[in-house]
Amino acid sequence: MDQLSETFGALADPTRRAILARLASGEASVTELAAPFEMSMPAISKHLKVLERAGLIVRGREAQWRPCRLRAGPLQDVAGWVEHYRQFWEHSFDRLDDYLRELKKQDSKNKKEKKHVRKQRKG
Amino acid sequence: MSANNARVSAAGIRTTTESSEWDLVITRVFDAPRELVFKAWTDTRHMAQWWGPKGFTNPVCELDVRAGGAIRIHMRAPNGVVYPMSGLFEEITEPERLVFVSSALDEHGNSMFDLRNTVTFTEQRGKTVLTLQARVIKATAQAPQYLKGMEAGWTQSLDRLTDLLDVIKGELDR
Repeated sequence: MDQLSETFGALADPTRRAILARLASGEASVTELAAPFEMSMPAISKHLKVLERAGLIVRGREAQWRPCRLRAGPLQDVAGWVEHYRQFWEHSFDRLDDYLRELKKQDSKNKKEKKHVRKQRKG
Repeated sequence: MSANNARVSAAGIRTTTESSEWDLVITRVFDAPRELVFKAWTDTRHMAQWWGPKGFTNPVCELDVRAGGAIRIHMRAPNGVVYPMSGLFEEITEPERLVFVSSALDEHGNSMFDLRNTVTFTEQRGKTVLTLQARVIKATAQAPQYLKGMEAGWTQSLDRLTDLLDVIKGELDR
């Protein structure tokens, strides 16, 4: 798997997203990160490994407690695509909006014509 | 705008709602009945007319509208570049829900960027509230470049239009 797919895979999990949100306000130890979750330490460690492999966090070597820190790079890549893809849809939806207006106009014109034909037949 | 809220800054991430930074969620209200909007999504004749930004055309637009059915769209940018896309319908619940996977293909036909798209159509007093949710399944290293290129395609076409308007205005002023 390449880096970007790995980033997205890592972000697919709500616990991992919550961990990242916590790390956004500063570095933290594994114990601190585990505190809000009803999860065992090995389970949290597993999540941290996934995040580390995806390049989303780094773990310090300087201290015994190996603090986790957020890495912004891959997150910016991800945010970049979301923005691009959003624009693609916004533009497409503008066209869909115009197109639906056109369809509705045609539809009511057809109905009027049918009515007219019926009237003529009656008369 | 949610787009700005969703942006991830180097300073930190904001996770306020589940419609998060890595899921794309767009909602748009269309002034048309739900059946019609749904049809615009599932009838190739209609879809070819609006898929892609302004100035883009869809020389190939094939939809096999059933669960497991294939999607094939070749979108052509105003600068002539063709963006082929393949996909697969996963769920079709007329007229309220569509789920499909879309894959942007590279020049060799390999997928670079796979998304699962969920589109819901809700009727609201004769109007239709459409919500599109997209989640990335796969993205190769080429994907960001590809998206940037596509965006350049439509930005250029808008620029061209602005230039053209300037020329016309200039001639009128003379």
